[in-house]
Amino acid sequence: MDYDMLLKLAMELGVRLQKSGAEIYRVEESVVRLLAAYGVSGEVFAIPNCLIVSLTTGTGEQKTALRRIPSHGTDIELLEAYNDLCRKLCHNPPPEQEALDRVFAEEKSGRDWPFYTQLCAYFVGTGGFSLFFGGTWADAACSGLCGMAICCCLKVTRRLRASLFNQTVFSAFVSSLLAAACVYARLAEHVPFVTIGALMALVPGVLFTNSMRDIMAGDMVAGLVKLVESMVIGGAIALGTGAGLALARAAGGL
Amino acid sequence: MDAVSLLPCLYAFVACLGFCVIYHIRGLGMVICGLGGTLGWLVYLLVSAAGGSVYFASFLAAVSGSVYSETMARLRKCPVTGYLIVSIFPLVPGAGIYYTMDYFMWGQAEQGMQTGLQTLGIAGCLAVGVLLVSSAVRMYTVFQSRMRKNVK
Repeated sequence: MDYDMLLKLAMELGVRLQKSGAEIYRVEESVVRLLAAYGVSGEVFAIPNCLIVSLTTGTGEQKTALRRIPSHGTDIELLEAYNDLCRKLCHNPPPEQEALDRVFAEEKSGRDWPFYTQLCAYFVGTGGFSLFFGGTWADAACSGLCGMAICCCLKVTRRLRASLFNQTVFSAFVSSLLAAACVYARLAEHVPFVTIGALMALVPGVLFTNSMRDIMAGDMVAGLVKLVESMVIGGAIALGTGAGLALARAAGGL
Repeated sequence: MDAVSLLPCLYAFVACLGFCVIYHIRGLGMVICGLGGTLGWLVYLLVSAAGGSVYFASFLAAVSGSVYSETMARLRKCPVTGYLIVSIFPLVPGAGIYYTMDYFMWGQAEQGMQTGLQTLGIAGCLAVGVLLVSSAVRMYTVFQSRMRKNVK
């Protein structure tokens, strides 16, 4: 058995699961199960930005690998694909090289939405939430515009490798300025509803819930990292929106 | 409860569809997630109408949303995360963050604190609701696999 290849396979699958947004326990369980399917005992430790896999070879030698995981979004389609692949590999383990090829092949089959579809999605999502929180149809349309602005801001700041905090502050700032501008131009009536709808694209509700789930599941470090991250994002939203609206007020718009 | 007060459920459905695309959920999954969001808000409205507090309504809505997501995940043999993310999305107190910030900006620190704490409280209730269900499901899964081993 090729232990190096097996270690590489386990690592690759774990990293990919985590990058597509899997929970910590799912990553750890999947890797352990995969190793067990090949009849190898191993240990795995995952926190949101790092994955360590270690296994014991037939001669009792220890092999360990470590990978840092960059900040990533959520891609449920890829997550489901890797989860499914992991189940198949565990059920009927092929030779290591073939398994690794199948892991790599999965990425190519994962398609990204074209940019204009993403823009439309942000428009529908944020506009819908503006209506949901009590805005009028005009508010919703402006909120959708702000949502599209957030989409563009995120895209640009991600390309500039800005931190999550900076990404959020910048996006919230731009969207609240735009919201104030819409109300100033009498396109919309209520600044709060326009802004809140757009902000739903940034709010870390999912992150907060996941952090609590991790803490309760016993993954303290992972939970704490996510908890702090969600607090920072919450603060960034307040800061960015506050700065944008204050600027608009100072300019005499409202 | 009249039809107009149920309109937000429809808006939640549409908004959830938009966010499904953002999280790369496709096909039938989109409809399932949208319905999850609608269900959560419906429960929230019903509990509120029956006189429950904001916290209790959020908690029960989160429980129903996650029971729904866990069921769908089992039926479709997919990770529960995808369904859960979108199903509890309408319950997330996004407005709370905004109003907290707004009060502080106008120097109304006391009201700001109050709103901020309420926002945190609602987020906590959501988390507890989701946790309760997911822990129960995990324990049940372990129990089931033990039983199966014993039979063998």
